[in-house]
Amino acid sequence: MTILRLALVALVAAAFPRVLAGQADVAAQLRGRASPEVIRAVQSIAATTAARGLPVDPLIQKAIEGGAKHVPADRVVAAVRALAAQLDAAAGALRDGGIGAPGADVVEGAAYALNAGLSARQVQDLARVSRAPYDPGLTLRVAATLAALGVPPKKTLELVQGMIKAGRTPGDLVDLPTEVQTSVAEGATPAQAAEGLARGLAHAPGRQPDFTPPGQAKPHPHKP
Amino acid sequence: MSPGYHPYHPLVKRLLDGELSLAELPPELRAEGEQALRLTGAVDRTPVPLSAALDARVMETVRRHAASPARRAWRWFTAPRVVELRVRVRPWTVWAGALAAAAAVVVLINRAPVSPVPASVTGSPARAGSGDSVYVRFVLYAPGAKRVALAGTFNQWDENAAPLVPAGTSGVWTTTLPVPVGQHQYAFVVDGKWWVADPAAPAVDDGFGRRNSVVAVTARGVRTL
Amino acid sequence: MGVRDEATDGEVVRAVLAGNVERYAVLVGRYRDRYARYAARMLGSRDAAEDAVQDALVRAFDHLADCRDPDKFAGWLFLILRNRCFAERRRRTREGRSLELADEAFAAPDRPDGNVEQAESARALEQALGHLTSQQRDVFVLKHVEGLPYDEIAQLTGATVASLKMRMHRAYDRLRELLKEHL
Repeated sequence: MTILRLALVALVAAAFPRVLAGQADVAAQLRGRASPEVIRAVQSIAATTAARGLPVDPLIQKAIEGGAKHVPADRVVAAVRALAAQLDAAAGALRDGGIGAPGADVVEGAAYALNAGLSARQVQDLARVSRAPYDPGLTLRVAATLAALGVPPKKTLELVQGMIKAGRTPGDLVDLPTEVQTSVAEGATPAQAAEGLARGLAHAPGRQPDFTPPGQAKPHPHKP
Repeated sequence: MSPGYHPYHPLVKRLLDGELSLAELPPELRAEGEQALRLTGAVDRTPVPLSAALDARVMETVRRHAASPARRAWRWFTAPRVVELRVRVRPWTVWAGALAAAAAVVVLINRAPVSPVPASVTGSPARAGSGDSVYVRFVLYAPGAKRVALAGTFNQWDENAAPLVPAGTSGVWTTTLPVPVGQHQYAFVVDGKWWVADPAAPAVDDGFGRRNSVVAVTARGVRTL
Repeated sequence: MGVRDEATDGEVVRAVLAGNVERYAVLVGRYRDRYARYAARMLGSRDAAEDAVQDALVRAFDHLADCRDPDKFAGWLFLILRNRCFAERRRRTREGRSLELADEAFAAPDRPDGNVEQAESARALEQALGHLTSQQRDVFVLKHVEGLPYDEIAQLTGATVASLKMRMHRAYDRLRELLKEHL
């Protein structure tokens, strides 16, 4: 395995600690960081979430975040509930995409994608095309990050699917957000950046340019 | 743009584009048009001869690749492309008029010592974190701020855990801390009350009506992901 | 390689894909110089251009099976080269090296018909080009060095004519600013 693949595996096996859904654990993590009302509500939501086989840690992190941002208790609870629903939707989309028992990382990646604006259908499509060597968690995180950078969801999908169809490496996929950022820094909109990348793919689906090679064009209009 | 910046008149630009002739410009623009044509006319169009050995070098490589399918599979990892890397330097961006939310710049340091990062930006060599962490330097341009902190999933969103310090008098605040491998959300806290995300980094809804920034840390460094 | 090969690009590509690797030399010979000028203007030196052209030709071979229309090999190769030039510029920017052009400007001294003033202007412009963004430089070179009209550049690169003009017009203004002492 190359170093790059190891790095990708490390990324995908991301280091958020796996938290057991025990009530005691939830309370222990939230003590001093959230109000009793929030703690009670999160314990309940976490129990249901864990029972569905979904990761609970994101819920705890969200509650901690809400406390740190001094958000009123009812809004924190609402956000945690919304996140739980998103995790559920993510798992559903993955199942429809052919991944019956997704790991926590893949679920979180899918939830991140939904949060960034991709639809459940789009998550499903991405899961479906992510057969080995493409890890669905990684594909989804790349797509989510592109969307989070402002690339419209449809263009995000075109670009990511295009890369996979063209047989680009997972490493190339991981580079996409940085490439988009670079183009944006040079004046393109995120959508244009993504389009440019998709067409610049030497093997992108879509038409080939009808090209007059440089050196054979008409004479320059201002040649002296 | 610097003072005394004089953009070309739009008609002169069309002249340069070849859509108008000099004679079609209004008389008062002809001088500017001629000057502009001198500029583009200065470009060198002579063909560039490459060395005669190029063909042989290409074919030698091509034959090697053709002979070894296994080698072809590994070319992705050995070709001199953007595979390794990972020191990404963002230019300072100043957004006039906005408050401290002006610009956040994240400067990323690769764990392994690599080719030198411009000293003006980091001023210090890359350092490896312990275990599964990488040192990451965060920077925010916030000239009016009295204090700036960094909060995120890597420090339980604790705004007291990672204060930034002013780097000189330029209005730039900075801190360096070990961030565990994985994907993280974060934001800056200005003067204890304004939560500010990096306008140029990927941003996601935080569920509370604001935005968080996202960064990924891998065993080989940091990237936008 | 003395004999001129009359086969079309498509025929050669298909022959190579069928296993006749040596035929690739025909394509190398055909295109090695054609895009050299573009690469040289994008990267600022002949040496860098040579590396880029060499890499692009090898990469085109490696991916030849993915060339969707073998008769349009030329355009496909150009895009590979263009991407390579952009990547090289990004790499230099990361390493803080993007502006080292002065010593490598090769304009003029080799020109048999050049006069000193022309040489000076060309060199100044070459340096100024280095201060443009990659996309600005790319459209400037394609239009003013290679002589392509906007709609061909648009087809080639996938950008819209409007965005190309926007980049170009910014480039004109930037060049004017950079070259004000020379004009």
